[in-house]
This record gives sequence, structure tokens and C-alpha cells, in this order.
Amino acid sequence: MEKKSKRLISLFVNDQEYEIATYPNRTLLEVLREDLSMKGAKEACDDGVCGACTVLMDGTPVRSCLLLAVEAQGRKITTIEGLSRGEKLHPIQQAFLDYGAVQCGYCTPGMVLTAKALLDLKAKPTDEEILTAISGNFCRCTGYNKILKAISSVDADGQGGH
Amino acid sequence: MDDLSYVGKSVPRKDGPTKVSGSAEYTVDVSLPGMLCGKVLRSPHPHARIVSIDTSGAERLRGVKAVVTAKDSLKIKHGFVQTSRYPADQYPIAVDRVRHVGEEIAGVAATDESTADEALSLIKVEYELLPAVFDPEEAMKPDAPEIHPSHPKVPEPFRNIGGKTQTSWGDVEKAFEQCHLVREDRFVTHLRTHAYMEPQAIVASYDHSGKLNVWLSSMGTFLKRAKLANTLGLPYGNVRVLKTYVGGAFGGKIDLFNHEYIASLLSMKCHLPVRIVYSREEVFKGARHAQPLIVELKTGVTRDGTILAHQVRTINDSGAYRGSGVVVIFLAWGFLMAPYKIPNLKYEGYSVYTNNLVRCPQRGHGAPAMRFAVESQFDMIAEQLNMDPLEIRLKNARRPGDILPNEDFVKNFGLVQSLDGVARRTNFVEKYRKAQGERKNGSKIKRGVGIGTCSYFGGSLIYPNGSSVIVKLNDDGGVSLVTGAVDMGQGAETVLSQIVAEEMSVPVEDIQVYAADTETTTVDIGSWISGLTWVTGNAAKKAAENAMKKLLQVAAEELDAHPSELEAKNKEIFVKHAPDRKISYKDVIAASIQKKRGDSIIGEGHFRTMKDEPTHPSLATTHGRWTENYSSYAQVAEVEVDTETGMMKVLKVTTAHDCGFPFNPMLVEGQIDGQVSMGQGHVLYEEVLADKGAVINPSFLEYRIPCALDMVETDYVDVITEEYKKGEHFDTKEVGEGYVAGTIAAVANALYNATGVRLNQTPFYPHRIIEALERMEKEKKA
Repeated sequence: MEKKSKRLISLFVNDQEYEIATYPNRTLLEVLREDLSMKGAKEACDDGVCGACTVLMDGTPVRSCLLLAVEAQGRKITTIEGLSRGEKLHPIQQAFLDYGAVQCGYCTPGMVLTAKALLDLKAKPTDEEILTAISGNFCRCTGYNKILKAISSVDADGQGGH
Repeated sequence: MDDLSYVGKSVPRKDGPTKVSGSAEYTVDVSLPGMLCGKVLRSPHPHARIVSIDTSGAERLRGVKAVVTAKDSLKIKHGFVQTSRYPADQYPIAVDRVRHVGEEIAGVAATDESTADEALSLIKVEYELLPAVFDPEEAMKPDAPEIHPSHPKVPEPFRNIGGKTQTSWGDVEKAFEQCHLVREDRFVTHLRTHAYMEPQAIVASYDHSGKLNVWLSSMGTFLKRAKLANTLGLPYGNVRVLKTYVGGAFGGKIDLFNHEYIASLLSMKCHLPVRIVYSREEVFKGARHAQPLIVELKTGVTRDGTILAHQVRTINDSGAYRGSGVVVIFLAWGFLMAPYKIPNLKYEGYSVYTNNLVRCPQRGHGAPAMRFAVESQFDMIAEQLNMDPLEIRLKNARRPGDILPNEDFVKNFGLVQSLDGVARRTNFVEKYRKAQGERKNGSKIKRGVGIGTCSYFGGSLIYPNGSSVIVKLNDDGGVSLVTGAVDMGQGAETVLSQIVAEEMSVPVEDIQVYAADTETTTVDIGSWISGLTWVTGNAAKKAAENAMKKLLQVAAEELDAHPSELEAKNKEIFVKHAPDRKISYKDVIAASIQKKRGDSIIGEGHFRTMKDEPTHPSLATTHGRWTENYSSYAQVAEVEVDTETGMMKVLKVTTAHDCGFPFNPMLVEGQIDGQVSMGQGHVLYEEVLADKGAVINPSFLEYRIPCALDMVETDYVDVITEEYKKGEHFDTKEVGEGYVAGTIAAVANALYNATGVRLNQTPFYPHRIIEALERMEKEKKA
């Protein structure tokens, strides 16, 4: 197979800039996982259907398995690794623990990021809005019931709570 | 039970913080220096003789570090079941014949994925095609192509019989003569899959000392170790399976899979780490899916709805090798006989080889098919007898104290309480009658309710049969809990921590869990026969008691008291009648080390199901005891059906559950929610479709699983039949598998209640509902 030459790209991930030499055909997911060792985003379907690879680009959820790393240049990428601040979990992460919204955990990073994007846009979404927002993030373990409860429990001011 | 501090509480998951922060390491995340990409060459044919394999092109390709075929293998067969009746029947890499599309023929390991793909394309395999068969009933015919010789102990002149389960009691013929009503129905269930989010994955690393280190996504690392060691010809101690987080399994990650053997063989050949991770397409095309089953059910009842006899024949399409086929025909019998009294029974189950993918357990393993059949027929009988569905179930449900035909004791069986509880919570009978009345009212949208039940064994004897647990006290009084248990999301580590916390009066957050590593942790039954909380839980309890006894002994000496006068609370021990006289665990441990020649206090505990049974029951005859605990539950589904489009929606499922004692109610609810969702997907739209043995919908685009917009509202009724007492053995029951069965059965009955459509075949696609409605319309006119 013919190999293209590598290109130097610059990515802005979790408020830090990274310079990476990579082939232009590599996805953002591959570069995050393999070059930056940020393995929270997962590959699960290869089709952009399941949402396990979700990261935020300028605050909007994107499928990092469908996005080339070169396309993410100049954009602000947030991964699950950038969500908690030091020891303190983000209120959405805490709510997922408090309400039992995590089982195997494979979908959790993508699910939490999708929830963050929603709550950043609308502090108190309806159940219907939450379910619609996360409908592109598959979870096989929970049936979504406790995920819905967790997301709707997060306070309007972003402080979390029950 | 009020004095419990940790057990019975909704303690958040121990592994929660690492999972929500993205730092939990799954097998797909394991990365080792020099790690190679492994790929598997698979058969494109459903049935063929391998004439020759030429790997020379692949071997010459730059970047290829190892190529393996059966020539590199010891040719030791493996099987989900390996008994004298059912010896292993599958090579871990095809030797001279392939029996299904996707069967593993060769493996390559290369420096990157594209080189590995190119290497696969350079392997030349010459095949001689053989006739193939894909339908189990076709495969049984005398002129069918022979995939394997029929089992020598099955007397019928059928072909391709991998195994048979046969059992009976009473006299069914005589009983049918005495019956007021006898029904015969045939139910067919389809091929569903687990859809675990993490694909099949393994990293195998063989080093120069002769040690094979393996990370893999599994439900039981000790079982994987045994099967890898056996097929590779290595001592168990030379194979180490290490812990990783498991991204869902649902039955689909037990047993040895050929790609795991191939990754190990590749690593042994090149002494470099080899990683094989399936794409989703490969999961659909090459991994094992669940067990479709045909159930032919003849039932006779008296005028008042009392069951007098069942005559049952099941046919399982086991795929190209036995897999768990001979288990599912045994288990289907178990899920038939457990919940309801059956005075006379004749049961025969056939597991039939076909040229389809090999099958494996999936959540419920036979229960969804059997309960769908029985519960559907219950409702048909009830209607003919002018009874309601609740009444016929209450009449026949086993009561506490019943002895099952296999001599198991159902003890505090909660089925009657569950039926009562769920019916009351949902106003079932009222809603049922209302929907019946509204069936013909002209409205296009119909609503209905249906009920389904199930009962489930827990922790039966299958290798490694029992669990051992160690608890170690740390110098500061914290506890290390050592267990072989695999937490695949169900919360094993959390529940075991709760038990140790309770017994040792140590906060859950002061317990560190070391789990699932075959070298550094203790043997464990595994997360695959619904017995971990009970079996490993009792082992953990014994280990904690053992350590506590030692702690109290030393404390008694330090406090100048008798151990019976002491009480422990929050890592301190004090004299009950003089609470000022107290000592911290930290100081007790220091005293023990000083005065007992270095004894830092370690507790050990072991547990196994049924101390008097040498092994599991006979798969052939069902004789032998199964377990000591039977869960039971009743579920009510409320559905809405659009009679113009045939689209059906499951609105709500209410579950009354007797899981014994809920150790962590939040985790129990999570298990039920997940099963309701999975049951909904399986009964309405999920189906693995194949054309001549090749899967034709190999992606989540074409095999749809429930998304958030399909969420079913859930409600629960607790039926608590066991209790937890500090310092005593406890009993508890299954909660992770059978609710799929109850949900599917309840939805089937709700569809009928709403529309009058009775479907004997799953899934309930809209076109099947429409066709049935049109048939009914025609019959009405005629």
C-alpha cells in the first residue's frame, strides 16, 4: 500500500497545544489515542453510529472516528481527560456516579461529553431534549434510564446535585 | 437489617471515578512497546476442504513478523463443553476443513494494520467446496450434508446431531387424556447478538522466559487461562491473564475464541506482543452470537387451568461446532421446569450442527426462547378457559418450600409475591380487560398490557466451580481485597467491597480491590453463571470473618478483654460495656506484627455451590442438582401499536423481582433496566441476518440496537426473600440474566392484548404485525 508522507499539524486539546507529525489520512480518534495517549474516546462501531468516540470541537459533539485529525486544526478540542479539574470531577461526571449511570463504562466518556455540550447550550433541558441529544450515543448496559436521571439532575448553574 | 451500614445500600461504584474520567484501561487501550497488529484470515466459504495453504507471499512481505496456520499448532481441539459425552470438537485454527463462513484459517502479525491486511491478501488457500446446510431442521434430514457425524448416543436416524437432552417424569400420555384442554404450538426465536460496546480484543505477549501474558476482554480470566494453556500446551502457571476493564459482555465473552489462540500463537512465534482487536464488522461476521431455538410445546390443563402435562421438543441451531448448543437445550428444560409446577413432563432437546457461525451464551441462555413460548401459550390457554393471565399463573406458580424435579429446593421462592406485586402496582387485570374491550373500537392506535415471568438458577458448578477470596490488612487499618472476580460492568468489585466493609467495619472507600489477574489473585467462578454475588460474595464474607477473628483476638489481648466482649466500628475495636477502652485497627496490626512474629493479619475464604454434589447435572438426562437458589420475577409490559404501520413501542415495563437480597439496589435496578432495554431490542427489531451462512447486516447501521429515544420507562417492586446478617452465611439470587426473558414474554402478550395479534416468531417486525392483522381481517370477512 502506498504511504503518503507525514504532515506536521497542530492540535489544541484540553487547553494545550500539541504539534504532531502524522499522515493526513489518520482520524482524530487515532491521533488522540495513539499519539496523545488520550484513550477515553473509544472506537466501537467504525461507522460513526455509536458515539463512543465523541469529543467536543468548539463545544459541539463530533465523531472523532469520522473526522480527520488535519480537519481539527485551529479548533478547540475537549476530551474526557480535559473535563475534570484536578481532583474534582465535573458535576456531570459526579452525577453519573451518584445515579448509577455507569456500568461497563465504555460509552461513558462520549455520553458525558454529549451531555456537557447539551447543558452548556441549555441549563435545564427537558427529558425529550436530553434523550434526543444522547440518541447518537449507544449504551447497551443501562437502558438509558439512569443516564437520563443523572443528566437531568445536574443543576442549572452547573453545580451538580440531586 | 437496619443495623447494616454498607450491604443493602446504593453505594456508588468502586470503579466509577476511573470510568467517568476516561482513565479506566480496557483491553483495546493496552499498548506495549513493539506491539504488532494481528489479523485473522477467515474462510469465505460455509463448508470446504482445505486443499492447501501457501503463506510464503505473506511471510516475505516487509513488516510481517509472524504468520501462523494449523502447521504451527498442536492441533488440540477445544469446546465450550468438554466432557466424555461431548468431547471438544473445534480446532483453534482450521486444520483441513472449514465449516462456517468466517472460520479462522491463518493469522498474521505485522508492524502496522495496512501491512497486516496486505499480508492476509497474499495468503493463498485452495478449497474444495462441500455442500452446506443452514437450517437446523434441514440439517437433521437423512440426506443433509454431514458437517460432523451425528452423536453416537442419539438413536434417531437424524444427521448432524451434536447432542440431545432427554428427560421425563410422570406419564404425559395418560395426563393428556385427562385434560380438559390440550394445545400444541410451535415457537421460533431468531438470531440475536450481544452488541457489547467493546469489541473482541486481546493483547498477547510471550516473553523469552516462556511466559505468555494476556490481556483480553472476558467474563472469567481463569476459564480463559485454562483453555489457552490447554490448547497451547503450556502449564497453567506460564499463562497469565491480567485484569482489564471489560466493555460489556452479556454472555458473549466466555469460552476460548480462536482469535485469542491465534494472537497467542503469533506472539509465541515472534516473541513480540500481538494485538488483535475486531472491527464491528468482524464482530458481526466472525464472533459468536446467541442461540436461536425452536420450541414445540404441547400443554394439557384441567378445566380450572391447572397444568397437568407438558410435552416439549426443542431444536437448537448450534452452528458449525457444538459451542454452547448442548448447554442451551439443557438450560431450556431448566427454564421450563423452574417457575411452574409440571406434574408430568416429556422433554427432548436436539442441538444440531449447521454451517452457520458458532453460537455462545447470551444473557438468559435459553430462557428468552423458552419463556416466550410458555408464557405466550399460557395466555392462549387462559383465554380459551376464560381466565385472566394472572389467574392461570398464580394457580400454577411454585410456592416457597417446593422441591423441584431435580431435587433442588426453591426455599423462599418469591414468584407468587412477584405476580401479586406487579399486578397490583400496574393495575394489570383492569388494564388488560380495558384493552380487550377497546380492541375493536376503530382506533388505529392500540394499547395493551402483557405479563411474563421467569426463574433462574445461580452459581451452578462449571469450571472453576468455586471462588476463593483473600483480605489483607494494611498497616493503617485499610483493607486489600484480592479476588479473581471480573467486573464487566455489573458491579462485582463494588458488591464484594460492600460485603467486606460490612463484616470488617471498614468504610468502602478504605478497601482496595485487586481483581481478575490469574497470577496474583485467587481463583474465581467467573461472571457468567449468575452466581458471583452469592458464590464469590460468600467467599469474601468468610475471608473477612477470618481476618476479623484474628483482629479481635489480638485486640482482646491488648484491651485485656474477651473477644466476645468486643465490637468493631469504623476501623476501631472497643469493649461493648466500656466504649472508652478501645484500640484502632492500626494499633492492633502493629501489635500483631510485634507479638505474633510478623503476622500482619490476612483472612481467607472459599465457597462453592452445594457441598455434596461432585459436579454439574447431566446435560444428557438433566439428573443431578443444579443450585441452591432460584430467583423469580414477574414483569408487566405496556405497549402501543400503530395498526396502520405495524410499529410497536414498549412504553413501560414494571418488574417485581425476587433476587433474594438486593446488596446494592442501584446496581440491581441497573441490571433490570439494561435487560428491559435489551429485551425490547431483541423482540422488536434486532436480528442478525445471514445469506448462506454469511452475515449480511454486519454493522450498527443495519443491526439497530435501542438508542436513548427508544428508552422504556421502568418501575420496580422489591420482593425481598432473603436477609443478610453479619457473621452468618447468606443466600441471594440471580438478577442479571432472566429479565430479558420476562420482558420478551410480556411484550408478546401485550401485543396480543392490544391487537389480537399472536406472533409465534420473533422479532415482531412491523410487516409481521401488519400481515397478521390483515389475516385476521380476512378471516373475519370469511
